[in-house]
Amino acid sequence: MCQKLREELVGLDSADVSVVVFGSLARGEFTTGSDIDWTLLIDGSADPEHYNQARRAGEIIAGFARPPGAEGTFGNLAFSHEIIHQIGGQDDTNRNTTRRILLLLESRSIGRREAYDRVVTAVLSRYLQEDRGFRRSGKRPHVPRFLLNDFARYWRTMAVDFAYKQRSRLSKGWAIRNIKLRMSRKLLFASGMLSCFACHQDFAGRWAHVRCDKPTASPECVDCLRELLVHPPLEILAMALLHYSPRLDGAARKILQAYDEFTGMLSDEAQRKHLDELPPDQEEDRIFQRARELSHEFRDGLSELFFDEESGLADLTKAYGVF
Amino acid sequence: MRRIGFSTGALAYSDFRRARAILVRKGIYIVELSALRMSEMRPLIDALDALDMTAFDYVAVHAPSEFPDGEEQRVAECLETVRQKGWSLIVHAEAIRDYALWRSFGDSLCVENADKRKRTGRTARELSRIFQQLPAASFCFDIGHARQVDPTMTEAYLMLRDLGSRLRQVHVSEVSADSRHDVISLGSIFAFRRVAHLIPAHVPLILETPVDEEGIERQVNAAAEALPTSGGQPAVPLRDLAPMPLTW
Repeated sequence: MCQKLREELVGLDSADVSVVVFGSLARGEFTTGSDIDWTLLIDGSADPEHYNQARRAGEIIAGFARPPGAEGTFGNLAFSHEIIHQIGGQDDTNRNTTRRILLLLESRSIGRREAYDRVVTAVLSRYLQEDRGFRRSGKRPHVPRFLLNDFARYWRTMAVDFAYKQRSRLSKGWAIRNIKLRMSRKLLFASGMLSCFACHQDFAGRWAHVRCDKPTASPECVDCLRELLVHPPLEILAMALLHYSPRLDGAARKILQAYDEFTGMLSDEAQRKHLDELPPDQEEDRIFQRARELSHEFRDGLSELFFDEESGLADLTKAYGVF
Repeated sequence: MRRIGFSTGALAYSDFRRARAILVRKGIYIVELSALRMSEMRPLIDALDALDMTAFDYVAVHAPSEFPDGEEQRVAECLETVRQKGWSLIVHAEAIRDYALWRSFGDSLCVENADKRKRTGRTARELSRIFQQLPAASFCFDIGHARQVDPTMTEAYLMLRDLGSRLRQVHVSEVSADSRHDVISLGSIFAFRRVAHLIPAHVPLILETPVDEEGIERQVNAAAEALPTSGGQPAVPLRDLAPMPLTW
């Protein structure tokens, strides 16, 4: 799919413009019923032509899958300035936070990636360089709290938005949104938390040589984190599970089997449509209930991983994930 | 103490004789003779034997930024003179298509990292592929290009980490969004300082900032300010000239 898209979109990108996809396509979980969330990411001089480029990109992408959701977060232009500079504060809108966090956690550049790489690096650089606790953490890097807090904020925003959309859309599509929140959205948060914990725990095997008391700490840390976040969220989760194998094999089984069945469910056109159109008073529906059970297995597996005492993850989860 | 000089192209475009005379007047004895355009190469090479460069501590020649199709061998042969003189030959990573033509230059060949318009040579990873083809070549670190490609200087750090042992010289300037060299801004100074400690004091800094004679000191001082030596010693850029205070 990405290769075909790349061929069609060639020429719309440049050293300053990247076509970026998010969601299931970026996670490697694209199925026939998926939509394609995309944006034309610009890191360079503003050009009136960018609007036409975005329109053209939209037309091309519409030939491959359903268009993105109605919120306007995707399917249009995004500028590096807002994403990099507006972290927190009044101007950091839901849309901006979503774009920024998804850029880090589940995005992929289709075609030329220079602008994409620059923006991702600049965002990470802000999170790490402006995190006083992280910079002063001595020889061994701590957990980057500024970044983790924003991952947590995004996750909670998604959860609150679920309730908002339930109201504003008169519960249309509630079941599939509910299941996605419990599975793919939660997976993102889990992979974000683990990426932050990896700075300290080094389960990804990247941080052993990094010492925060060296003047090179900042670019080294940015590079380590960037290299980790290149992986899709499920892979990041798998890295941690593999690192703590065999102790956490039970958790691994719960997490991966549940997620596998969830993606299978979404790739089944009939089941996806069923969930998409399920009326709000049908909570006892058999397919929805099965999806809900999967989400519980997934949650239980994640709890075993994040509250594992022996690995030290439990302490990190309590210290950084709760308070 | 930094060794700071200029590119002749930044001072006087293709008039390398005039630029040389300016540098001598200013007491600057580190120079890169610029032949960035193809039309500038032959006149420069033909003039080299008659050009008295004995006073200079370090001399480099910048090859044309790109070679026309079918001309690469002729360019390499023409530039052989530079190798024979023991000077550094600066070549843009993307200009090289036939690596075999350039291997005989050994470490005289100094491959420069590219700005964001180019297709390769912009990142540490792209450069590593080029240096695999040119194992003896040295590295010209263009800090302005590196900042344009990645303003956080993470890529600059990776280049210096991976290619530091090959580092022969550093190009210093501000590089604009449309890839033009410009005078050093305060933003550049802050950014360059992040990797200054990775550049050894003996490595020559070549300014590519377009200035007239009156603007030289200011740029030299800005470069010294941006790239202090790792021992914390202030860079003393000129032999006979006291640095001017920087005002912004």
